[in-house]
Amino acid sequence: MKKTLALTLAAMLLISCVSFASAEATQTLTVVTWDATTTPYLIAQKEAYEASHPGVVIEYVDVASQDYPIKSTTMLEGNDTSDIYMVKELDDIIKWQSQGFAEPLNAYVEKTGYDLSGFVGTEVNYSVDGELYAVPFRSDFWVLYYNKDLFDKAGQPYPTNDMTWDEYADLALKMTGDGVYGTHYHTWLSAVANWTVADGVNTLADKNYDDLLYFYQLYQKLEDAGACMAYAELKASGLHYSAAFANGNIAMMPMGYWYVSTLINYNKEGTCNFNWGIAAVPHAEGVKAGSSFGNLTGAMINAKSANKDLAWDYISWLGGEEGAAATASVGARPAYVSETVAAAMAAVDGFPTDDTSKGALIPSFVGMEWPVAEKVADIKTIVNEEHSNIMAREITPEEGIEEMNERVAELFQ
Amino acid sequence: MKTDEKRARVKMGKLARKNTLIAYSFLAPNFLGFAIFTLVPVICAIALSFFEWNGGDISRLRFVGLENYATIFNVKKIAEKGLGYFFSRVDLGIALKNTVTYTLITVPLTIVCALALAMLLNKIRGAVVFRAVFFFPYVASMVAICVCWSFMLMKDGPVNQIIMALGGTFNKSWTADSTMAIWSIILVSVWRNMGYYMVIYLAALQGVPRELTEAATVDGANKWQQFTHVTLPQLRPTTFFVSIMMIISCFKIYDVVAIMTDGGPGRSTKMLVTYIYDEAFTKIRYGQASAISMVLLVIVLAITIIQFSSEKKFSND
Amino acid sequence: MEQTIHQKAIRKDNPVLSTIFRVIIYIMLLALAVFTLIPFVWMISSSLKLDREVFAYPMKWIPETFHWENYRLIWQKVPLLTYFKNTAIIAVVVTFLQTLTSSFAAYAFAKLEFKGRDTLFLCYIATIAVPWQAYMLPQFIMMRSMGLYDTLWAMVVLQAFSAFGVFLMRQFYRGIPTELCEAARIDGLSEYGIWARIMLPLSTAAIATLVIFTFVSTWNDYMGPMIYLTRDVNKTIQVGLRRFIQENSSDYHLIMAASLCSLLPVSVMFLALQRYFIEGIATSGLKG
Repeated sequence: MKKTLALTLAAMLLISCVSFASAEATQTLTVVTWDATTTPYLIAQKEAYEASHPGVVIEYVDVASQDYPIKSTTMLEGNDTSDIYMVKELDDIIKWQSQGFAEPLNAYVEKTGYDLSGFVGTEVNYSVDGELYAVPFRSDFWVLYYNKDLFDKAGQPYPTNDMTWDEYADLALKMTGDGVYGTHYHTWLSAVANWTVADGVNTLADKNYDDLLYFYQLYQKLEDAGACMAYAELKASGLHYSAAFANGNIAMMPMGYWYVSTLINYNKEGTCNFNWGIAAVPHAEGVKAGSSFGNLTGAMINAKSANKDLAWDYISWLGGEEGAAATASVGARPAYVSETVAAAMAAVDGFPTDDTSKGALIPSFVGMEWPVAEKVADIKTIVNEEHSNIMAREITPEEGIEEMNERVAELFQ
Repeated sequence: MKTDEKRARVKMGKLARKNTLIAYSFLAPNFLGFAIFTLVPVICAIALSFFEWNGGDISRLRFVGLENYATIFNVKKIAEKGLGYFFSRVDLGIALKNTVTYTLITVPLTIVCALALAMLLNKIRGAVVFRAVFFFPYVASMVAICVCWSFMLMKDGPVNQIIMALGGTFNKSWTADSTMAIWSIILVSVWRNMGYYMVIYLAALQGVPRELTEAATVDGANKWQQFTHVTLPQLRPTTFFVSIMMIISCFKIYDVVAIMTDGGPGRSTKMLVTYIYDEAFTKIRYGQASAISMVLLVIVLAITIIQFSSEKKFSND
Repeated sequence: MEQTIHQKAIRKDNPVLSTIFRVIIYIMLLALAVFTLIPFVWMISSSLKLDREVFAYPMKWIPETFHWENYRLIWQKVPLLTYFKNTAIIAVVVTFLQTLTSSFAAYAFAKLEFKGRDTLFLCYIATIAVPWQAYMLPQFIMMRSMGLYDTLWAMVVLQAFSAFGVFLMRQFYRGIPTELCEAARIDGLSEYGIWARIMLPLSTAAIATLVIFTFVSTWNDYMGPMIYLTRDVNKTIQVGLRRFIQENSSDYHLIMAASLCSLLPVSVMFLALQRYFIEGIATSGLKG
């Protein structure tokens, strides 16, 4: 009797100790990011990290995606102490580094013996003078989405992983008709003319834009033939590419890899119910098949954070194999590349099962949508302004490219 | 005699001082809040236009004098190629031209519409309903409105269909056409704001003494003469207020442009504030952004002072 | 002159003409009302569609099936009720403070003589002219150091002392004859008494205007809450609406539904106050 009592007491003591200890050990990491409640990979990452690191809570500070640049900048300028900021655009990190907001990470890498090889060199984009400032955790590159049902109905072969842009245009024209658009271009510069950087030589900051001409002419040819919706209409209606493709009357659409998880979700919710697949984006003559361009998403530690070590633990986990697995589990593409991760990506429920789609998961080259370069923000403005002029047919592609060349040259005078 | 005068002066002085104190006590509640939360930041912004600051620590501020102004005006090029270059090639010149065009058209158009609505609705049966209807656009969320109007102004949208039915030939989305894009913004602004200013005019019309219009009627004036000779002069302080507020808000146009055209196509709807926004938040050049704001401030202030002096002249009549 | 008398005679003698005149006015008003309301009809119809139907072409004014569940979804997808509550708190407090302090200050500007009046007033106007984007940053840094960041108070102090209200009230007070104040002064009323007993009752129309405008602009403010409010518990409706526009998708049907809902309180406010535009000075029997 006494023994039981003692045991019970001891057990109670133990339990209270444990619960007390765990209550004390609860640490919160605040992460500033966008669309936190609806982005599947953010939810998956949080769940996975919290499950494997008891006592740590990830708290997202949610900002609407289109407000992110201004809101994050204001917060940092205002001495915000959130531990981690996610990096949306490549030049954000350069900006934040130059302003002293980003914690230098080399020391942490050394201290923890962190292996960067899984990033296959992409982390260079987050480095300034050899010092790392952010860890990439997502790397999106562009692929070609296509509606299998439409191709079956038209009796045309599916797009392959090795097509030139001309072949693609022919296919688009063949698929057009009966209320079906052969292809779809979103209004962005990246959807229409960014392809020039896939050769690994050109960048959009190299001050010469003559190589964009081919892609603008290709686009105008397709638009004239009614093979894609007109830019002017898309811009005016604000029609989102996700809804456009989900409508089921678009045969092909070049778009970032991120759209995979949206499509999987659409299939599950029943928003769209056709079969789709992905293929590598077409390539220009003389450029290796499977070449594409893309963008990185990463995370940096706020220099004013009070939990830098824990923050490093989180972002290093995020970029590493385990974080990558969580990211890939919902159809997003992690920056960390390994066999396991690729297998995880292909194994996602709802991902197309054909070999072309699986093959498209491994691009042969990924150029950066926008490079890190001097005055790149100004160049971006100029190129985008002329892009809208060309696309709305206010000027010819030749005139627009002439303008780009001239205005960018003026910038450096 | 002398002492009397002195005493009177002292008394006057005391009175003036007392009056000033009373006046300050009236001002204080508003002024305190205003000074701390608006005036001080504005003064900071003015100062910032003479500095280079790419954000971050305050210690990174670097005094550059007029350099920011030289950059935004592209002074070198203007000296070389003349003013035509400024208004056709330089960002500031283009933004200035677009903003002024927009303001010059929108302000009179809105005032005429607002005043006409107010006159029509003043003392009419069913005015309650109409007033609410015309005020509605002002209340609605900007995003929803702009999305909606972009759609209405599309290539085969209802507006173009009406134009076609009337024998017009325009067949392109307004927002994607470099001449029509600015008109789409004007249209949305007038549509949205006419009800707002109508309400101000309606309130002001209550201040027009009925005797005056009645007297005019007795004198044989017709409705139009009543309007131009009695009502309009009586509404002058309001018109003054409305036009200043409108000019200022037109010069500050941002959200409609950001949602509907994003400054495009090309630079055809680039406005001063979209330009400021871009410099400050995508290029993180706060100094230059402040300098552009100062250009805006100077223009608006000049217009206001001119209007003020004319208001004074009128009220002294 | 002769002609005008003639016209007048016609109008008085000819009820048919004056009826025609009235009918024309109503037709004009109706046409304008249709022009004003058409976008709202589109909004209502879009709010009852599926997302991909919103921009479907050719446009359908009446949805194929009415998706009433959109109006339920908006409350489930985001904490819209919290947003409503926050917006209401901010709007009410701001409107109260703004109206009170503005009418107080405007009285000084319109009816009192004091040193530096014109300069001070010009200061007020000048700040209206500076775009908020230009001084947003210094203001933000200051507010943060005061610990106001991410609190509803930030929005209150930001908007409650705007120069706009002072300007509006001053313009209205200028329209009230100065003789009235002077008479009251001779009767022994203090300046505060004049403000409370003469100016306030005479300016109900102006106050109604200011109340409506402050309420509406606070209600619809987007940039302020976007910058200053971060946690979900503090967000307002307009910021909340943006949550339906995501990077990879946008639910325009839900935006339309939610913004129609957010229209309701302001409309009620307007309908309740609009009778003051008819009453006002005209009925108070006091004229210049």
